[in-house]
Amino acid sequence: MDEFQEILQDFLVESFELIEQLDQDLVELESRPDDLDLLNGIFRVAHTVKGASSFLNFDVLTHLTHHMEDVLNKARHGELRITPDVMDVILESIDLMKTLLGVIRDTSADSGVDVSECVSRLDKVSGGDGEVESPVLDAAPVIEEKEAEEELDFENMDDADIEAEIERLLSQRQDEDKAKREAKIAAGESVPVPPPSPDEEPEEQKAKPAPKAPVAAAPKAAVSQKAEVFDDAKAAAPAKRAPAAVEQTIRVDVKRLDHLMNLIGELVLAKNRLIKINDDVEERYEGEEFLEELNQVVSIVSLVTTDLQIAVMKTRMLPIGKVFNKFPRMIRDLTRELNKKMELEISGEDTELDKSIVEEIGDPLVHIIRNSCDHGIETPAVRLAAGKPETGTIALKAYNEGNAIVIQIDDDGKGLDSDMLKNKSLEKGIITEKEADLMSEKDAFSLIFKPGFSTAAAVTSVSGRGVGMDVVKTNIEKLNGIIDIDSEVGVGTSIKLKIPLTLAIIQALLVGVQEEHYAIPLASVLETVRISRDEIYTVENRSVMRLREDVLSLVHIGDIFEVERILDSSEHAYVVVLGLGASKIGLIVDTLIGQEEIVIKSLGEYLKGIEGIAGATIRGDGGVTLIVDVAALMHMAKGVKASAMIEETSSVTKEKTKASDYTIMIVDDSKTDRTIMRKALEPLGITLIEASDGQEALNTLKQGDHHFDAMLIDIEMPRMDGYSLATEIKKYNKYKKLPLIAVTSRTGKSDRMRGVESGMAEYITKPYSADYLASVVQRNINFKSEF
Amino acid sequence: MSDKLQQVINNQNRQQELGISHTDDVVQLVGFIIGEEEYAVPILSIQEIIKPIEWTRVPQTPGYVLGVFNLRGAVIPLIDLRLKFGLKSKKHNEETRFFVLKQGDDVAGFVIDRLTMALRIKKTDIGPAPDTMAGDESLIEGVGKQADRILTILKVNKLLERDF
Repeated sequence: MDEFQEILQDFLVESFELIEQLDQDLVELESRPDDLDLLNGIFRVAHTVKGASSFLNFDVLTHLTHHMEDVLNKARHGELRITPDVMDVILESIDLMKTLLGVIRDTSADSGVDVSECVSRLDKVSGGDGEVESPVLDAAPVIEEKEAEEELDFENMDDADIEAEIERLLSQRQDEDKAKREAKIAAGESVPVPPPSPDEEPEEQKAKPAPKAPVAAAPKAAVSQKAEVFDDAKAAAPAKRAPAAVEQTIRVDVKRLDHLMNLIGELVLAKNRLIKINDDVEERYEGEEFLEELNQVVSIVSLVTTDLQIAVMKTRMLPIGKVFNKFPRMIRDLTRELNKKMELEISGEDTELDKSIVEEIGDPLVHIIRNSCDHGIETPAVRLAAGKPETGTIALKAYNEGNAIVIQIDDDGKGLDSDMLKNKSLEKGIITEKEADLMSEKDAFSLIFKPGFSTAAAVTSVSGRGVGMDVVKTNIEKLNGIIDIDSEVGVGTSIKLKIPLTLAIIQALLVGVQEEHYAIPLASVLETVRISRDEIYTVENRSVMRLREDVLSLVHIGDIFEVERILDSSEHAYVVVLGLGASKIGLIVDTLIGQEEIVIKSLGEYLKGIEGIAGATIRGDGGVTLIVDVAALMHMAKGVKASAMIEETSSVTKEKTKASDYTIMIVDDSKTDRTIMRKALEPLGITLIEASDGQEALNTLKQGDHHFDAMLIDIEMPRMDGYSLATEIKKYNKYKKLPLIAVTSRTGKSDRMRGVESGMAEYITKPYSADYLASVVQRNINFKSEF
Repeated sequence: MSDKLQQVINNQNRQQELGISHTDDVVQLVGFIIGEEEYAVPILSIQEIIKPIEWTRVPQTPGYVLGVFNLRGAVIPLIDLRLKFGLKSKKHNEETRFFVLKQGDDVAGFVIDRLTMALRIKKTDIGPAPDTMAGDESLIEGVGKQADRILTILKVNKLLERDF
């Protein structure tokens, strides 16, 4: 049973793959009905499926494919011309075949689907050119029985006999084909196809089972090994589609790949961490010999990790052709349905994308293409009147651009009319008149993505409900993609979808706001600009800036993420221009930290769905950085008022009533020095807090348990020295006025200068007298001696 | 030597037997202090207890959600129980701990003031939550009575449930 399941699985996977190819081939066939290459390819598919399904006892499927095979075989031998009507029947039978395969996949049996009608139509086509009806129906089962008998016979023969038989039949057919081809060429191709001669019919039927026997016995190998099995036939079958160099492939469960991807994610994090540690070590042990060795190892590890990541990503890549393949058929159907003439040009179908994205991209493309067909391309009469070729063209292109893939859908239809779009939206109440006035052409184009919007005068079965393009936008945004529309009235429309290559590990721009860091997916970052504060204007309670010709609305990341403003904001700010879907926004941040490869981790069940946050990542230093959800951020930005640049200074100064209300921090790494200072200041009665290095001092200060009036700082300390401490402290708004007093044995002029630069108010050199220290401190804290 | 080993094994067996006979009516809890009160959670719901480490604030959350922290590669939410219970926040000190609780796939860290001890308590010594605080919405599972004190046993699933 298990073995059967296994074979069944292989059969299904193979069949679905074959059918995918089939759709495309058939549509092509319609335009080139004499292409033997194509016909042979299509025939082979039907044949392979038939062989395998009979082996697996799927009688209904066998029955159907058998009759398809009949029709195709006739076409292949030039006995039947592929007209659109014939093609309709063939396509219908292929749809039925898909349904059957679907049923088999779900239930492991092929019952419950009625194929008799389709079979009889197939017979009609193959049997009597559509005139004769009933007799063919009866003939079918008979032929099948005959076949079964013959198959049995073959099985009873020994190998040598079979070989001989195959040889004989093949050469026979070779001759036949040759003769026929010559006849055709002689007749100049235009001779009407002769009706099927009764003599030839059974001949064909007999000839077929022969090559089939080995196929049925090894259905799995059918496709890849066909070249071998039919080694002789290769020459015989006229211009058989050159088999692509046999690909060595192995099927792997997607779950395993996902797991592998997760592990690589962990490795990337560890790599980032290693690089960070390496930097730290480098700084601390500058000039040491082992550093070089460490450097080498770190760079090798990081190189290999990057390569490994790319390699694993590649295993998950699928050519986008998988998605594109279904469109020729769709266009064909739409052509007939809408009574328009359209052609689809596909290029770049080899471009590869992550599997998860390939799965998501199908639906949006269907909607866009249907939209182009229905709204874009005009009817032939209109086209001719406009001086365009009767047949409209839709071009579907895929190509790589940096770390993203671009899918471009161009049509040469009537184009989008921005005024018409605005009016329609006003009518439907999607936008207000004011908004309409402010809209640029591009903004107007993106109106087509609004839910409830439709330009079609009437709802057709194809489109016009105003849902499809909304789906496009949602799906593309889910993939962190960008939509760009270009259009010219009367000339055509071009829609570009820019989608990141993969989802699990992404490139991100790290930005800082106050003391917090956030990661923005680089795919959504269009550019970054440094601006000064006076370049920001306020229009109707919104911050905006001029970016070249455009007006860009701005929002401060701190307003969106409720960041407390504790650090002093400088004269300059950075604007990260974000683009998503068809909209743009400028995000004001304090600092740009850099670009880093990050692994997206979920925030877990408890914190999922936080607006504006897409997930988190772990940085090289082990800290967690949140990843910005650009789509949500754009949405949130609408509700944020322009408080962006308003600074608030709420310093609570308490009235000092007694000496112990004054608090001073003593920062020195030497216990003795701290004691000396303490002794000198204790007589004043003020509160003294000690810290043994800069880092500790900074932490104590930040905790805010005490309100310090001044700090005595030693310069030379481990972890963080006095200069760095002073610089750090002066970054904070509320400590701008906090007097910092350097107490040091460094007496050089340059030391003093550095002290001033880093914001020290006084500079006391050791040794000093207790009185001197006390008086300096008193002066700096406005100490009233009357206590 | 082998005698000794045998003895140890025997001892262990005996203890296990004891343990089995006790599981029916004894619960093992870990007690901790928040503010003035002592609370407890079942020992098996605790994934680990760690000293405070750095965390990252997450916007758009209530005040008691301090943010997220990195626990060996996993991003875990951090909740301050003082704030959650309506107390004022307190600076973390030497005794502050992060309690990492786990139930099924739900994991979260909770800030507590200090640990007390692991304890076994008879089921018969656990009373229901006071009527005013009982019910599905309550965080309180029951009240455990010890010789010299009482402790509030918390519902782990409620603690791990998002309530905003």
